[in-house]
Amino acid sequence: MDLQYNNSNEQGRNEQIISQFLLKTLHIVLESRVPSIRPSGRRSLVKKSDKWFNLALGERPTALDSLNFWHRNLMEPMIIDIILVQEMPGTTSTTSGYGALVETVIERWVVQYEYSRTSHQPNTESYKKTYKKSIILLRSLYTMMRLLPAYRAYKKLCISTSKGCGFDINYKVSSFSAPFTRTEEDSMKHYSFFPVEAQQGHGRLSISVKYRESLSDFNLETSPSFPPEIIITDYVGSPATDPFRAFPNKHASTSFPVREFQSPAPPPQRPHSWTNGLIRGPGPHGSPPVHRSSSGRYDLSSSPTDVIYGGPNYRPPTPSHHHSYDDYQFQLSLSPPFSPSPSPSPPTYSHSRLRSETAPVSIPTSPRYLSPNLHLPPPSPRSTTRYDESPSGVRSLKKSDMSRVRDNKDDSGRFSGLLSSSGSPRVGFSRSSSSRLSLQDELLDDIDFSCPFIVDDVDTCDSPTVSESGSGSVGGGKQGGKKSQDAAAVGALVRMLRTAPPLRQDSSCYSSSLEAQFNNSESASGLFMARSTSDALEELKAYRDIKHLILSKSVLAKEQGL
Amino acid sequence: MNCELCQLKELDVEYFEIREVLQCILHTIFFHRALGLVRPKDIDLQLFEITYVQCGDAELEKKVDEKIDQFIDRIEKHPNKKNQICLSFFEVKNKQATWFTHKVEHLYWEQWYININVAQHPKPISGKSHHSKLVLDPGESASDERNARRATLESSLHEVLFQIIKFVNEKKDHIPPIPNMEGVSFPYEITISRLVFYYYFYFDSSDSAFGMDMFKRMLQTGHPTMLS
Repeated sequence: MDLQYNNSNEQGRNEQIISQFLLKTLHIVLESRVPSIRPSGRRSLVKKSDKWFNLALGERPTALDSLNFWHRNLMEPMIIDIILVQEMPGTTSTTSGYGALVETVIERWVVQYEYSRTSHQPNTESYKKTYKKSIILLRSLYTMMRLLPAYRAYKKLCISTSKGCGFDINYKVSSFSAPFTRTEEDSMKHYSFFPVEAQQGHGRLSISVKYRESLSDFNLETSPSFPPEIIITDYVGSPATDPFRAFPNKHASTSFPVREFQSPAPPPQRPHSWTNGLIRGPGPHGSPPVHRSSSGRYDLSSSPTDVIYGGPNYRPPTPSHHHSYDDYQFQLSLSPPFSPSPSPSPPTYSHSRLRSETAPVSIPTSPRYLSPNLHLPPPSPRSTTRYDESPSGVRSLKKSDMSRVRDNKDDSGRFSGLLSSSGSPRVGFSRSSSSRLSLQDELLDDIDFSCPFIVDDVDTCDSPTVSESGSGSVGGGKQGGKKSQDAAAVGALVRMLRTAPPLRQDSSCYSSSLEAQFNNSESASGLFMARSTSDALEELKAYRDIKHLILSKSVLAKEQGL
Repeated sequence: MNCELCQLKELDVEYFEIREVLQCILHTIFFHRALGLVRPKDIDLQLFEITYVQCGDAELEKKVDEKIDQFIDRIEKHPNKKNQICLSFFEVKNKQATWFTHKVEHLYWEQWYININVAQHPKPISGKSHHSKLVLDPGESASDERNARRATLESSLHEVLFQIIKFVNEKKDHIPPIPNMEGVSFPYEITISRLVFYYYFYFDSSDSAFGMDMFKRMLQTGHPTMLS
């Protein structure tokens, strides 16, 4: 019995480490390549969720929250493409004022957990060793991100002012990617980090990268502007307004939490530095790019492959692009779930580059993407309509997506770390609280670990569900059966609450909180989290009692009236 | 427990490049050995197109700068082409204390050898103003040569950083339990040595109290860095 518990405990913690490893890797890669993905707010205190692997990177970008749930299967590789976007020179401007854009993958990161039942070198590697080795691997990854050629492009973007730099960096996260052409392969170098063993030697966490050895072909130093004539005067990303600009020192260091770029003056001339003297034009005037394809690229169809495109000004590729994206059938907007339409702002390319919201892209989602804690049966048509009515056409659902909602049991043992620790958010929270506390106490005794598996803040302004449920998913396999029952109960409750007329003030607040949840998973999930299943069931009983009471009273009234 | 050694590629540097090169290398190693909670700090080198990462520990920064100052002073006083800095991580073991002695033993589990070849220049740089660059010689050929040399050094420094990353990921089993979650997790020491003509005459200029131990270790590990 103890051995079984230890094994399931070990397995649960391993899965938690693996899922957090994937998340942290994604965070490191994106925050080192995509300047716009950085959140605008900064916190001086390190959030507990940021302490994973003892590498505090700062507040997680909002875009990453929506990417939290994409990875359903730990065995699937996570492929992160870093895409350089440039305007094709010599093209005539279109109605949007832009020429065709060329996108080139300059880096492809592949993060994978490989598991093999039959391992040639089984060992007694516990999850603690795996965690310690992962710490070092992620340090190396962080260091490597700054050594590769693409980092120069990123720095150039970071320090670009209203004059712009003529290119942009986007990203794409998927579990499948089209292979490079022969020409591209020839221009790319490959590097693999030494993998980290996990799960008694049966598993391996590996990170590898293919990167362009040289970006000189792209003429990033002398890239044309977008278009060249117009100068932005009130560019939000200018040094005067950029909140990230901080105090220069002699090392031009970048320190946390204040990220520091070079001084507003032109950077000192180095032997191989790029000059920054380009004038940047306005963006697409707040509208989607004209060459946005109407082919089925944005249509949704069920596919086992999820693809998330990123970058603030991401546009779909034109046919002249190096890569064919036809294989990618899912696209998720970078904007936070159910975010409002892009805020009215000066319609400039450079400005829109800084915004986390992208040009609206209709995306397929399953409910799990909308609210990580909702392991619900396929929602009613009413909820589907609600999704469609979401602003800016950000999301649209298909029933095929609904049908792919996994069974709780299926997820709990495997990926419950990210999705939920139980079938219902309430149950998950209460249950995970108790399990988290026991884990934390146990781990604090071990001097090697000060803060893994820690209790995450219940912060309603963020999306706490992922990290909280993540920390509570240890031993998720054991709770699978209970979770499905709770999920069914909560599902029934939710359906009832949605369809029932408000009997009292509380119910209307509750249903509106439900709506708010579906409209904004980030804030409302906090409300969900605050309630436990027992509370919900009690409330259900109360509703039923009141309903019976009213019905009985109405019957009595009728009889008396008659 | 075995002691893992890493000999980093030799770098040919000018006087004014020493500080940045050493800071880059040492901090990169420390970043991989400070396994407690860190808030990484990106530092852009002034002389090279390289960004390295510090672990954000002010105390460590100060110690590293002090060591580099010592190294530069020593080079100025005793110009020597080949120099070596050894960064060692150790465990503190208390030997059995007797009535009169309480000996503490350092068990070294990892050593990094940073090999710096300093270009021989007659003019020592005064004070700590090591950021000042040498006056450029007139003439295009000299500046071309300097640029070429700088490019070579930058490439070599890149290789050294890659070497560090490779080493820290391939060798992980020898790392002892983490005694300190703050700052650099393990006790360490930095020793400066210069290699003279005869291998057996090893001048240990370390400020560590265990110079003889270091000398013995050098002989035992068979570290034969002969001058060319």
